[in-house]
Amino acid sequence: MLNRFWKKPIGFKLSTVWIIFILFLAIFRDLLPGPAWDESTEALGVGPGSPGHFFGTTQDGFDVLAGIINGARLSVLVAVTSVLIGGGIGTFIGITAAYFKGTYDKVVNVVFNMMLSIPNLVLSLALISVLAATKDGTPASDGRKVGVMILSLIIVIIPILGRIARSATLQWSTREFIIASKSMGTKDMTIIKKHIVPNVAPAILAIGFFAVGVVIIVEGSLSILGIGIAGGASWGSMLAIGRSYLEFSPWETYFPVACIAFTVLSTNYFGDYVRANLDKRESKI
Amino acid sequence: MSPVLKLTDLSVSFNTPRGMLKAVRSVTIELNAGESLGVVGESGSGKTVLSRATMGLLPRTAVRTGTIEYLGTDISNYSAKEVRDLWGTGMAMIFQDPMTALNPVRRIGDQLTESLVVRLGMDKKAAREKAIALLKRVRIPDPDAMMRKFPYQLSGGMRQRIMIAIAVSCNPEMLFADEPTTALDVTVQAQVLELLSELRKEFNMAMILVTHDLGVVAGHTDKIAVMYAGDVVEYAPTRQLFSNMKMPYTEALLKSIPRLETPTGTRLPVIEGRLPDPTKDEPGCPFANRCPYVTDKCRAEKPPLTDGGNNHFYRCWYPIGGAQ
Repeated sequence: MLNRFWKKPIGFKLSTVWIIFILFLAIFRDLLPGPAWDESTEALGVGPGSPGHFFGTTQDGFDVLAGIINGARLSVLVAVTSVLIGGGIGTFIGITAAYFKGTYDKVVNVVFNMMLSIPNLVLSLALISVLAATKDGTPASDGRKVGVMILSLIIVIIPILGRIARSATLQWSTREFIIASKSMGTKDMTIIKKHIVPNVAPAILAIGFFAVGVVIIVEGSLSILGIGIAGGASWGSMLAIGRSYLEFSPWETYFPVACIAFTVLSTNYFGDYVRANLDKRESKI
Repeated sequence: MSPVLKLTDLSVSFNTPRGMLKAVRSVTIELNAGESLGVVGESGSGKTVLSRATMGLLPRTAVRTGTIEYLGTDISNYSAKEVRDLWGTGMAMIFQDPMTALNPVRRIGDQLTESLVVRLGMDKKAAREKAIALLKRVRIPDPDAMMRKFPYQLSGGMRQRIMIAIAVSCNPEMLFADEPTTALDVTVQAQVLELLSELRKEFNMAMILVTHDLGVVAGHTDKIAVMYAGDVVEYAPTRQLFSNMKMPYTEALLKSIPRLETPTGTRLPVIEGRLPDPTKDEPGCPFANRCPYVTDKCRAEKPPLTDGGNNHFYRCWYPIGGAQ
C-alpha cells in the first residue's frame, strides 16, 4: 500500500500528509509537549525561532505554536461535525427528493436554491446572530458559541451537498438497473440504500471534501468578523487577534493563515483527486 | 385453468405537449402457462410499451385503459403496492441492454441474492446457495468466482445470463423478455435464446419475447403478434404465420432480413416511408402509405382485426393469398 502511495502525484502526497498531520494535532493535542495555549508567558511578542517558542509568541505572550495546535482541534471539530451532519441530512433529502419526485422534490429544490442564493458567510452570520443571542444581551458562552456555529454551518452545508446528491440521483434513478430492481419487487428504500447510494457516494465524497474547506474558511471569516469563537481558540480567532499587531508581530498572523490555506488547499486537492479517480472508474463501465 | 395472462383491449397513451400519443391501441392477447408469445415490430411500434404496460412499469405520464388479467384476476386497477408484490415472484422482466441493467458498483452475488432475500425471505446462506445454483443453471463457468465479480468484468452475453438468472430467481409465472438479445452479438444471441426456451419449459413459465427480429421469434415462440403503430396487425401461431402470412407488413418485415445467399452489393430491401404520427388519429390503414398493395379503401377506412380461422387474426382489407 505504501508502495502505491509513493507512485501518486506529489500534490496528492502533500495533501494526504498535511491532512493526516492536522488530524494528528487535533487528536493528540493534550499529549504534545510545549507550553499551554491559554497561559501567558513572560516573553511578549518574541519572533519565531526563539528558545522555547518555535513559532514565537503573541503580543500578549501566548505561544503561537501551542495556539496552532489547539486551533487545529477546534477547526477540525467544527469542520468535520458540520460536514458529516449537514452532509448526511443534505444527502438524504437530496436523494429522496430526486427519487420520489413530485411536490416534495419541487419544494426541496426551491428551498435549496433559496439557501444557495445567499452567500455562505452572510447566511451563517445571520444564523449565528439570531441563534447565539441571549435574552439579557450578555455574550453567549464559548461552548454555546461553538454549538451555534456548528449548527449554522450544518444549515449552510445541507443545500450544498443536497443539491449534488439530488442531481446525481436524478441521473441514476432513471437507469435501467433501477427499473430492473424495481421490476423484481424491491422496496424503494432498499433500492435507495443498495443501488442509489453506492453510485452517488463518489460525487458526495468529493464535494464533501470541498465542503470541509468551505467550512474552515467560513469559520475563520466569522471569527475575524468578531462573532465566531473568541480568545484565540481557533485559527480564525488567532487571526482576529493577530491582525491588530500585524506591523509588530506578523508571525502571529502568518502561521494561522498558512494553516488555513494549506488545509483548504489539501482538502480541495484531495476532493479533486477522489473525483477524478472515481470518474475514471465510471468511464470503464 | 385460466390463462396466465389475458389482455383485453389494452391501450396506452402518453400525455405529451403535442397531444395524446397513442402507443398501444386496443390490444387483446392471451397466454397460457409454458406458452411463449413473440411480439414483433419495428422501432416505435409499441412493443416495449406493451410489455411495460402489462408489468405496470410505465412512467406517470402514461394513461392505460383496458383490462389485464393475471391468473384470472384483474390486476389493471391494482395499487402500486399490490403490483409491486407481483413483481419478481409473479411477473419478471429481462431488459434489453445488460450493460445498463446491472448496477455497476455492486457485486454480481449481491445483486443476485437481493431479491431472494427481500422477496422470498431467504437467509443469506440459503440465498447464496440458490444463487450459485442459478448461475450454474444459466451456464456461467465457475459460479463461486462469479459471485464476487463486478458487472464491468463480464462480457455482454455473461451479463445477459446474469439478468436472466435474476429474473427467474423468484420463479415467476410470467417472464417478459424485452429484446433480450439485441445488444448481443449473433453467436451469443442463439445461446441466450436457447437458454430462455429451456428455462421456460423447466419452470413452466409463460413468456413474452419482444423483438424486432422475426428470425429470433421463429424458433422460440408458440405464437406471434406483429405490431405496427400500436396495433396488433397480425396474430397467429408461429407455424401458421410463417407458412401462411396475411399481412403485407409482416411480409415486408420478413423481406427486409438480410440473407446470406444474396450477392454482394445488392441493396437491402427496406420498407419505404415511416410510421404515421402517433399523436394523430388518421382514417384508413396506418400502413397504407407504405404498403405495396394499397387501394383507395385502405386509405379511407381502417381494417378491423379479422378472424382468418386457425387462430389466425389479421388487420387488412386485402390479405395476401385472399381471405379464408
